[in-house]
Amino acid sequence: MALDAGASTITAATAATAATAATAALAAHGLSKRFKKKVALDAVDLIVPSGSVTALVGPNGAGKTTLIRVCMAFERPNSGCVEVDGVDPWKHRTDALRRVGYVPQTPAVYRGLSVEDHLAMARSLHPVFDADHARRRLDQLGIPLDQRADTLSGGQAAQLGLAIALGTRAKILLLDEPLANLDPLARREFIQVLLDAVRSEGSTALLSSHIVTDVEDACDRLVILGGGKVRLDCPLEEARHTHRLTEADSPPPGATAVGSFLGKGGQKVMMLWRLDPAAAAAVVGTSGAGSEPASLEDVVLGYLAAGRGTAGLQLN
Amino acid sequence: MLTRIWLTYKQHRFETIAIAVVCLGVAVAAFIEAWRLNSLNVPWHCFQTWQGGGYNGGPIPDAAQLRCNELVQSYQNLQQSTDVSIVRMLLIFVPLIAGIILGAPLVAREIEQGTAPLSWSLSGSRRRWLLGKILAGLLLIVPLMLALGLASDVLQGAMSPHLHTHAAFENYAGRGVIVVFWALAAYAGTLALGTILGRTMPAVVLALVICFFVRTTWEPGMNHFVLTPLATKQADQVSMSNYYSGMVDMSLYQKVYLDGKEISNDEANAWYMQHQGPVVETTPDPAGSMPPAATASDGSGLIVAQPPAIPPSEFPQYVTFGIPGSMYWQVVGFESGVLLLGALLCSAIAFVWVDRRRPY
Repeated sequence: MALDAGASTITAATAATAATAATAALAAHGLSKRFKKKVALDAVDLIVPSGSVTALVGPNGAGKTTLIRVCMAFERPNSGCVEVDGVDPWKHRTDALRRVGYVPQTPAVYRGLSVEDHLAMARSLHPVFDADHARRRLDQLGIPLDQRADTLSGGQAAQLGLAIALGTRAKILLLDEPLANLDPLARREFIQVLLDAVRSEGSTALLSSHIVTDVEDACDRLVILGGGKVRLDCPLEEARHTHRLTEADSPPPGATAVGSFLGKGGQKVMMLWRLDPAAAAAVVGTSGAGSEPASLEDVVLGYLAAGRGTAGLQLN
Repeated sequence: MLTRIWLTYKQHRFETIAIAVVCLGVAVAAFIEAWRLNSLNVPWHCFQTWQGGGYNGGPIPDAAQLRCNELVQSYQNLQQSTDVSIVRMLLIFVPLIAGIILGAPLVAREIEQGTAPLSWSLSGSRRRWLLGKILAGLLLIVPLMLALGLASDVLQGAMSPHLHTHAAFENYAGRGVIVVFWALAAYAGTLALGTILGRTMPAVVLALVICFFVRTTWEPGMNHFVLTPLATKQADQVSMSNYYSGMVDMSLYQKVYLDGKEISNDEANAWYMQHQGPVVETTPDPAGSMPPAATASDGSGLIVAQPPAIPPSEFPQYVTFGIPGSMYWQVVGFESGVLLLGALLCSAIAFVWVDRRRPY
C-alpha cells in the first residue's frame, strides 16, 4: 500500500476553522522562504490561537527556525506573509516586535557584561521592559545579578534569555529551540518558568523543538513541520486521541494512513493512522484489535515519515 | 541613551581603553617633544644666521655665532631624532587606526557573537539601536582626536618656530582640527564595512587597506582635482616674505611663460637648447655659492652656460601657482567637510544596511 502523504497532511485550513483570525496571536498565510535552491518554508499556512502554548516540532532543517525568524523580521519571505498580533513584522517591524518576546536557540549573552547589565540594556532598548519583573524571576532561580553572563551555565543563560523575553511583557513569546542545549533538570526548570509566566500573563507561546518529549507536557497545541510544510496542526489532545499505531497495514475502522516508520529498537515497521473523531472517541485509551494508542513521538514520526516519502519503509 | 552608551563602552571595553590610552599617550608624547624643542630656546636670528656647513672660507664666527650654531645643531638633532619621527608618524596614523578599531566591532561583533538577534528583537528599530552605538563611539573619538589634533599642532609649531601654524600649509592634513575628521571618516567607513561584512577582522583589514590608500593619495588628489581652482599666482618674493612672517603657501603647480604666452616644459627646454647650444657639463662651484645669473639648471644637476646676449628677463619665466597661507582655514574647512561628507555617507550606508541585513 502506497502512502498518500498529501491526504494525511492536515493543513491550516482545518486549523483556520477552529481559530478565527480575530483570536490568532500569530498567523502565516502562504508563507514561503527559499535560500537559493533550498526551500525552507513552502506555502505555510498556520494559525497560533491567542493564549495557547504551541509546540512547533520537526527535525533539523524542517523550517522551524526560519518560521520564527520570519516572525521576527530577521528573514524576508519570498511570498506570503505572517501576522504577529495582526501586524506584518516586515512592513511594521517596530510595532510587531513590541508584541513579541524572543528567546534565541543559542543563549545570546554579551561577553563581559553582567546579568544586571543585560537587564539594563534590555530596559534601555525596550520602552516597556520591566526590569524588576525579570530581576525577581532571576532571583527566584538563584542567578546572581552581578555575575558575568558569559560565566553562567547553559541553563542559567537560557533562563536569563527567558527572563529578558518575559520582562518585555510581550503578548507573544517565540522560543527557538531554547531547550536544545540544556540538561534534563534545566529543561524542566525552563519549562516550568515559561508555563508559570504564560499562565499568569495570559500570553501566547510558540515553542520550537526537535524533541517532542521536551514539550509535550508544556504545550496545548502541536504543529508538526517537515520539509518546509505544515504536516499537522491541531490541539495536543486531539493529536493524542485521533492517532493509532499498528504493526500491520490493516487499518483500524475509520482510519486514514499517515506514515510508517521504524519502531523502537528498529525491529518493527510501525504504521500511524489518523482516525476520524467519532472512531477516535470509540477507541480512546484502548489497545487491541491490532492497534494501540500512539504517543506524541509516534505521531510526529509518522507525519515526518509521510513528509519524507517513507523511503525504505513502505509497507507491502 | 546614557545607559546604552555606557554599556557600549563596557561591551567594547578593550577597544575603548586601548584607544583612549594610545591616543592620550601619543598626545602626551607630542607635547613632551614639543616642550623639549621649545626648551632649547633657539633665538630666531640663529636660524637665519646658522652656519651649519662650516665656515666655507668666510670670516671666523664670533662666540655668539658659535653658540647659535650649537643651539641650532642641537635643535635639528632633536627635530630629526627617532622619537620625534615616531611621534609624528603616530600622529598621522593613530586617528585612522582608532577610527578603524572602534568602528569595526560595533555591529560586526554583535553578529559574530550572536547577540544581534537579542538586541534587535528588543529594540524594534535597528536604526535607533545603531544610533546609540554610533553616539558612544563619537563621544569617545571626538575629544580624543581634538587632543591629538592640538598636540600635533603644538609639535608642528615647535618644529617650525617661525610658523604661524594656522596660516601655514606644512603638514596641514595631519594636524589640527582635520585630525578629528580623519578619525570620523575611518570610524564611519569601518562601521559600514563591519555592518556589510558582519565580521570584525575582515572589516579591519579591508579598512586598513582603504585608509592607507586614501591617506597616501589624499594630498596629491586634493591638490590636483579639488584645490587647483583656488590657486593664485605666487610671486617668489611675496612667498618668501610670507615664509618669514610665518605663513607658508601651498604651491600646487608651475606654468612656464615666454613672451607673455604660456608654453610647455618641453618647449622651454627646446628654447634653452636652441639658445645655448649643446649642454656642457661643468663642475659646480666648490664654494657652494649660487651660479652666475646667466646660468640655469636643467634640473638634472647639469649647469649649463647661458649666452650672455640674452637678458634673463627674456628667458622662459617659471611662475608658481598656489594657495596663500592666509586661506588655511578655508582649505582645512573644505577638506574637513569632504571627510565629514564621506563619514556621513558611510554612516548612511550602515543605517540602510543594518535595517535590511540578517542578524547572523
